[in-house]
Amino acid sequence: MVTEEEIEKVAKLMRIDVDDHKEYVDKVHTMIDYFDILDSACVEDEEISMPEITISNLREDKHIPFDEKLIEKLNHYKGTYVRAPKMSS
Amino acid sequence: MNLKISALDYIQEVKTGNISAEDFVAKTIERIQNVDDKLNAFLSVNEKSVDQAREIDKKIKSGKKVGDCFGMPISIKDNMCIKDSKTTCASKMLEDFVAPYDATVISKLKQQDAIFVGKVNMDEFAMGLTTEFSAYGPSRNPWNIDYVPGGSSGGSAVSVSAFECVASLGSDTGGSVRNPASFCSTVGYKPTYGLISRYGLISYANSIEQIGPLTRTVKDAAFMLNLVAGLDPNDNTTIDNKNEDYLSGIESGIVGKKIGIIKEMMGDGIDPAVLSAIKDAISKLESLGAVCEEISLDMVKYSVAAYYTITATEAGSNLGRYDNLRYGYDFPLEGYEFNSYISKARRKFGPEVIRRMIIGGFVPSAGHAGKYFSKALKVKSKLTKEINEVFKKFDLLVAPTVPILPFKLGEKIDDPVSLFLVDINTVTANLTGKPSISVPFANSNGLPIGIQLMADSLNDKLLLQAGHALEQTVTLPEVPI
Repeated sequence: MVTEEEIEKVAKLMRIDVDDHKEYVDKVHTMIDYFDILDSACVEDEEISMPEITISNLREDKHIPFDEKLIEKLNHYKGTYVRAPKMSS
Repeated sequence: MNLKISALDYIQEVKTGNISAEDFVAKTIERIQNVDDKLNAFLSVNEKSVDQAREIDKKIKSGKKVGDCFGMPISIKDNMCIKDSKTTCASKMLEDFVAPYDATVISKLKQQDAIFVGKVNMDEFAMGLTTEFSAYGPSRNPWNIDYVPGGSSGGSAVSVSAFECVASLGSDTGGSVRNPASFCSTVGYKPTYGLISRYGLISYANSIEQIGPLTRTVKDAAFMLNLVAGLDPNDNTTIDNKNEDYLSGIESGIVGKKIGIIKEMMGDGIDPAVLSAIKDAISKLESLGAVCEEISLDMVKYSVAAYYTITATEAGSNLGRYDNLRYGYDFPLEGYEFNSYISKARRKFGPEVIRRMIIGGFVPSAGHAGKYFSKALKVKSKLTKEINEVFKKFDLLVAPTVPILPFKLGEKIDDPVSLFLVDINTVTANLTGKPSISVPFANSNGLPIGIQLMADSLNDKLLLQAGHALEQTVTLPEVPI
């Protein structure tokens, strides 16, 4: 059984203001409870298979110039830097 | 001007000079203006469409080489980038985002002289299956506007079904092409994983999502697949399809094919009208010469829980990029500390996206990953093994696309678990990477029912042949709008 505190802690780590979204936490709780069904799948011994991605498929490692200055599409930038808020006030 | 024609008929008509691309596209835009207030399929309309069509007519008249689409009007789900056009993902977060480049599917269609008449509605970031989670209001089902059109590619299905375009591209992560296709009586195609490049598709759950066409006919879906499938250096999950022609031989039929009826997809909670439709579909497939037999995929009962666990985890990671620094809306930096700025910016996400992000942070987190995320991956592996075993003996699998009929707007929006069960028949194809099609098949009191067929990986051609054969066995009513 998942506790509300655990959900709230993860939400904060995802940078979601839980105080604003209290109403969602209940629904998240219901959804996670539904996932308990995975416990009855008896797959403990199953190996996780991941699709193979061949590296021959990769695009060439060369610089392709872009025809526009993408940084100018941002709301906040200075020269060639993205502007971000201060790390601490 | 008959806007109801198929893509292939449109091309024939323009080729032979019976209609001009300009007239057809102009009438299409007029149609959008007339009906879309009611349906809300379009988030933006391309105002240059008619001019672009005129240019194509000029090319035709001057004998220049013209692309295979001949100016065919297509709608595009608003999670695919068209250079210099808004791409909102139906989210307030990307309200003013203008894509700086074309998705691979868009470049390919541009080369073939397709015209993008507009970007269409969806659930925000493709999370949902009713289009009610769009930040710009729900789309409505043209068969009955009190009902949901399905989702997340709801705008794509509505625009095809209501003759606001000839074909559309959607994306399918757990049924998001097939589900609205079934609810709106169009064809919806989810190809083998890797067949269509995802470069320029805004990511939701990369490991299982695919772009797919929504069309009026199965032949049109094969035609669209011919145009957009194939290897792409910008997406290293794409596979070489050796330029397969999906349209040639589409009328080959299914004599002698073995079709498995998936028991777990016809169980509890299935609507009696859907049950009767699938039984009818099975007997039609048998009358076409196929041999149908019941099979079991034990892992299907866990597939929806595995699907949500995996997709939420991938979404939690993919949506991390929306910190409002590189993609976002206009919001001043001053007066905020870094973390509080990002938290405030992320309030622009809608409720379903917030829910799935919280889940996406929770299920793979230390202390919980063993119970949720790794079990979900194990279910995915076991389900893939099960279905691969089945495909050793069977050519195709059949089930209803959705076990219930379209429902009213607002009816299930507050009950996430009951919505989960709408996905039960579609997520298997995504989790296992298999191709799958929804073919319009029946109509119950004015509400459409689709039948889903699945084939083994890279057997897309056979799947389209079977879809076409099934499609020919029914005559369906015309959409009442």
